[in-house]
Amino acid sequence: MEANAIAYFAAGIGAGLTIIGGAAGIGRLAAAAMEGIARQPNAAGDIRGAMIVAAGLIEGISFFALIVTILLAVK
Amino acid sequence: MNALLLLGSAVQAAEPPAGHPAAGGEGAHDIAGTLMHHVLDQPFYGLPSKHLAFFVFAALLVILMARLALRSYAAGRVPRGLGAFVDGIVVFIRDEVAEKNIGHGDGAKFTPLLCSFFFFILVAALLGLTPFAATSTGNIAVTMALATVSFLAQQWAGISKHGVVHHFAAIVPPGLPAWLLPVMIPVEIVSMFTKPFALMIRLFANMLAGHMVITTLLLLVPLMAQVSTVFGLSMIPVSLGLSLFIMALEILVAFIQAYIFTLLSAIFIGMYAHPAH
Repeated sequence: MEANAIAYFAAGIGAGLTIIGGAAGIGRLAAAAMEGIARQPNAAGDIRGAMIVAAGLIEGISFFALIVTILLAVK
Repeated sequence: MNALLLLGSAVQAAEPPAGHPAAGGEGAHDIAGTLMHHVLDQPFYGLPSKHLAFFVFAALLVILMARLALRSYAAGRVPRGLGAFVDGIVVFIRDEVAEKNIGHGDGAKFTPLLCSFFFFILVAALLGLTPFAATSTGNIAVTMALATVSFLAQQWAGISKHGVVHHFAAIVPPGLPAWLLPVMIPVEIVSMFTKPFALMIRLFANMLAGHMVITTLLLLVPLMAQVSTVFGLSMIPVSLGLSLFIMALEILVAFIQAYIFTLLSAIFIGMYAHPAH
């Protein structure tokens, strides 16, 4: 197998693994936020704000992996 | 809209592959070339760099927005319209972001910088969604510049408050057993650099990924059209619908990323201005 083929293969697997990690983390975050809002609807605004910030940070981490994957695919 | 133009040129290019950036050659290479052509930097009407042109344009827009907002404060009136919008955001950044994270005296000192970050990143991202435009923060050089400014602000916050020696001496938390110092000092010094590095990559990747997804969805049309024209034409409403949805999501992401960059900068500045919090 030539190096390009392995690189494309790895890029695909990398993208899949990235999305597993990111989606699992954000899913847990959303579940906790839903539960918090259900327990105390007054705090819905604060919880929503904190959830969005945390989701942005988790997405930021998954983008590190995405950049590596894209570099594999285009180089 | 650039979506329609891209679709038009792409469907036209699928049947006779001519009149398109990579004319001739196999179809798959054409599509990958178009994708890269749309998200990477390119010369622009004689200017060397499209991202640079829109970087300057976004900065000028922010300055113009600030000036126009200031005018609505003339003669002590209550600001309305653009002034009220800008006022709301500036007060939000001063109270919620700067004062809460940097501390009560210094928050107002850093508010202009944080507002600059917020408005510039927001305007640059929203500008990139308009037809024929490019998102300047989708270029790693631009986000590297923003992260460098943030880094310098963090160092300045520490050095101006505590002096150079104390700023670097206070990097490690106090009350640490002596045998941990050889581990903690390199870790803390590296973390001083990874914080702005993470800011840079986060903003760059968010902006780049959004545009790559939009362009990829639109390029599904010529991809399908290579199989048969009917597939290509029936793909158009699906592709357009999905990419319009992703563009709406991009607007939300623009706000969120601007806020996160500003918030994290404020948190890091606060960590150096008031260490051992």
